[in-house]
Amino acid sequence: MSDRWVDQLSDYLDGELPANERVALEAHLQTCDDCSEVLDQLRQVVAQARTLGGVPPRRDLWAGIAQRIGATPGRKAAGELAFRPRAPRRWSFSIPQLAAAAIALMTLSGGSVWLLRGPASPGPVATMVPQPTGPVPAINTAVRGAVGGTDSYAQAVADLERVLATGRGQLDSTTVRVIEQNLAAIDRAIAQAQAALKADPSNLYLNSHLAETMRRKLDLLRQAAALASVS
Amino acid sequence: MTELSLEAATLESEQTGRTDPDAVDATLAASGDGTAFERLYRRHISRIYGLARRMITDDDIDEVTQDVFVRAWQKLATFRGESAFGTWLHRLAINVILGRRETLGIRRKRYLDSDAMLELIPARRPGPETALDFESAMARLPDGAREVFVLHDVEGYRHEEIAEMLGLATGTSKSQLHRARMALRQHLDR
Repeated sequence: MSDRWVDQLSDYLDGELPANERVALEAHLQTCDDCSEVLDQLRQVVAQARTLGGVPPRRDLWAGIAQRIGATPGRKAAGELAFRPRAPRRWSFSIPQLAAAAIALMTLSGGSVWLLRGPASPGPVATMVPQPTGPVPAINTAVRGAVGGTDSYAQAVADLERVLATGRGQLDSTTVRVIEQNLAAIDRAIAQAQAALKADPSNLYLNSHLAETMRRKLDLLRQAAALASVS
Repeated sequence: MTELSLEAATLESEQTGRTDPDAVDATLAASGDGTAFERLYRRHISRIYGLARRMITDDDIDEVTQDVFVRAWQKLATFRGESAFGTWLHRLAINVILGRRETLGIRRKRYLDSDAMLELIPARRPGPETALDFESAMARLPDGAREVFVLHDVEGYRHEEIAEMLGLATGTSKSQLHRARMALRQHLDR
């Protein structure tokens, strides 16, 4: 047994030894019991390491974490804490954003034929005719993928709200309140964007931003409904 | 069936029990729901605490573990669901732990001259009074060898990932791992 061979054993074990060196080492192992024994021991070390799982702390660390992230003692059951949620996310648009994407509003409001044809198809929106077989610009694909048409979007929101309403009783009051706060914030953002689009109906950036905001609403509803179903 | 109807249908199927509770709670926690975040804490505390305990050897493991979850709470908005929440949290934990170690100035020749320190680990002897268990032997490895060993053999990271995390050459990561294994083979539970 020499350092030359021993030093290669871990790489050999991990399959990281170059082919020529692997062949040479395997030939050596055929004749060296000491190296073979070390290899077997290293293999056991790796196997033992993989059995090491999680380790629970000796004391519950949650109270300290809750305190640091803004929790305050509440009136819940002993050991639980009520939360002071972080400030809700800002759902607002800058002027440049508000200046960019009117097309989405049209798509999402049912009068969005312009979007289906793309920005390269100028003309009065109200007179445009859908051309489902023609090429569709990427932005339009993204918007449709994000929120679908008005009818399907409204239907999906309604479906999810119904699922959430059914399972609402399974959620604790804090969770329900947070969900409602966020839905309200998203609805305000959607209304903001839609109002801005009325002023600038050809703004592509705002188009995508509105679509993203509506998708966020769908996502939140979907997650909340799913949570209600598993709680 | 429209895409959104399909989505609603998918939700119905998710209600049968295939929902990822981490994804749901991460979304709610990112919106400020501390109760959801506590559920995430309960599900992941053992793995994160175990990682911290094996990566650092001082008495601040509880505090570092709390730092991990506080940092996770602060960074939840950056979790996009591209990987599992547990994977995201674990990587964040490693960053916090390594950052903490740097703050404390615990570099002390981690990757240099560690052979001598490895020799200081007593060999396992027969009899419970002198035997070191495997975890204790790990804790007595030099910092550099222990970190690489934990990340590779316990946590399953690749050498390339470890080298990036620790700011090492890949070859150094490999050599540290081999040294750690050679030292620990004397402490196998038999």
